[in-house]
Amino acid sequence: MNQTSAARPLVSFDGVSKHYGSVVAVHTMNLEIYEGEFLALMGPSGCGKTTSLRMLAGLEEPSEGEIRLDGQRINEISSIERDTPMVWQSLALFPFLSVQKNVEFGLKMRAIAVEERRQRARKWLERMEILELAERDISQLSGGQRQRVALARSLVTEPRILLLDEPLTALDANLVVRMQGVLARLQKELGITFVYVTHSQSEAFAMSDRVVIMSQGRIEQIGSPKAIYRSPASRFVADFVGANNILSGSITETGEDLKISTAVGEFHCEKNSDRDFNTGDTLDLVISADLVQISMEGPEVQNSLRCRFISEEFVGSIVTIFAELEDGSDFKVQARQRDLANMALEEGAAFFASWNAADAHLIGGNGA
Amino acid sequence: MAPTENTHSVQDMRQRRQVTLYGLTWSMPIVVWQLIFFVFPLIFLFVISFWLVKNYRMVPGFDTINWIKMFSKGYFWDTYWRTLGYAGVATIVTSILAFPCAFALAFKVSPKVRRWALFFLIVPFFTSYLVRIYSWQIFLNDNGIFNTLFALVGLGPFQLLNNFFGTLVGYLTLCLPLVVVLQLISLANVDRTLIEAAHNLGCGRLRTVFQVIIPLAKIGIILGAVFTFILTFGDFVSPYYLGGSKPPTLSILIIDTTKSGQQWPRAAVVAIVMILTLLTIMFASVAAAYRKRT
Repeated sequence: MNQTSAARPLVSFDGVSKHYGSVVAVHTMNLEIYEGEFLALMGPSGCGKTTSLRMLAGLEEPSEGEIRLDGQRINEISSIERDTPMVWQSLALFPFLSVQKNVEFGLKMRAIAVEERRQRARKWLERMEILELAERDISQLSGGQRQRVALARSLVTEPRILLLDEPLTALDANLVVRMQGVLARLQKELGITFVYVTHSQSEAFAMSDRVVIMSQGRIEQIGSPKAIYRSPASRFVADFVGANNILSGSITETGEDLKISTAVGEFHCEKNSDRDFNTGDTLDLVISADLVQISMEGPEVQNSLRCRFISEEFVGSIVTIFAELEDGSDFKVQARQRDLANMALEEGAAFFASWNAADAHLIGGNGA
Repeated sequence: MAPTENTHSVQDMRQRRQVTLYGLTWSMPIVVWQLIFFVFPLIFLFVISFWLVKNYRMVPGFDTINWIKMFSKGYFWDTYWRTLGYAGVATIVTSILAFPCAFALAFKVSPKVRRWALFFLIVPFFTSYLVRIYSWQIFLNDNGIFNTLFALVGLGPFQLLNNFFGTLVGYLTLCLPLVVVLQLISLANVDRTLIEAAHNLGCGRLRTVFQVIIPLAKIGIILGAVFTFILTFGDFVSPYYLGGSKPPTLSILIIDTTKSGQQWPRAAVVAIVMILTLLTIMFASVAAAYRKRT
């Protein structure tokens, strides 16, 4: 699953920038994408993820830097010559062609004989479980079926890399989950590289081997979904990914554990990296909402906070509680619904939140 | 229970009838207009095609002699096929000349340039078609500006008037701006993502025009062609003033027929044949334009 860094990268972005006039869409991007990995480019809209993908497909030209495919510089190679098929958010299926002819399109452009391209297209339609739709019009298909046609059309030429630009955005929630399964399985079976652009954390985390978090044209963090979820590298990532509480403070003691003083109290924290911690360093304490325990009485434990209940968001087995701290800042807690059932939480009710010293993640300060 | 249900449905029906009446009232003007100026004249045209002419006067009656006479004459069929050919050539030439222009305006220029171009494509319609044709007569004659310019480089004079070339210039004057606008509207609505998708799948730029852009802009292209065909098939001005009226087209034939011996019934036969031809072409083209697959 995880690619070793020794593997030769299939794609390299080497100091790639993209400007539109004075607007910088992508800022000196360095990224290596390996053979056979499922990589997600994730970030809020306007972060440069789609521009990066389009540069890889040759639909945009980098303003600076070099993009290499298989070690070859491809900056000057037009999108027509590159073998980097893409699945668009709108899917971009040709409405004037049947399903079968849509899938055959790429083969026809490669001057493959009629009979062979018919067979190869049918093989892919069968693989996508839509062979019976071969003669239909695109307008007669459901969203999920169109998705499968778009995948078949891009994969029929047997490329080494597939680019996907938010392809699941237009689907119903339950269909999204199903298509995630289809995509992830397909990528494993084919063993080719998928580069998947999304703003959705659940899509990125459900399928990818590695996730690249982008913000304002820069890469904020590259890592496995778990690493990004549990060890956000920056305040932006901690904010954007998961449900994190971020407390700013400074180190007051650097003994066995760190002691960190914040506006809402003093907390103990394990030194969970081997970097230097010095008294007086300012840093951010990231406490994931799902690692917080709550109780109605003030517990005699470390790292306890007094909260005032504001509201809750119930989405099934997990409930997110939104609370306010003594200094007025927000605090989130995620708990199982059945654990909360016997706690009488009403608006304004006071409760206590606590966490283990090992569960807080530190970002910022020197060396970070 | 039953009575209430009954009144309910009666009320429903009354409401529905009111809605229909409302719609009918508002659509009345156009219905009346179409009846008075299109349907009744058409019926009248059909009726007089069976009348007779005696002593330069039309006599009501029912005789198929006009139909038989016209259909058995070689010059009628010659003129019919010639007119069809002229309109066909004009349609093809206009569509082909308009396409690069519409394409460039849709894809290669800024929205500001496109707006100005649209303006300049509409301006020609400020001037009457007849006036524009008269001015072409001056440009195209043996001492006109084109032959003067050709003479400067030692060419010519070419005969630019009183032949099909002159007629074609007139047809282009009539149709080219309109066809560019119709094609432009269709091309401007082509989804750019589909063009990118074609490139992404290895389709070359020129090939994308034929494989993707033309199929997507099909409605505008066919509509432009249909307008050209209809306008040129029935046009009288260009073949008469620039084409020299000889050999005639069907519209010139109608005029000649009415002038010679007041043969309005036979002219009606020609007109009905023209209308039927145009209806056939129009229905076939519109069906082709809206067919989903290419």
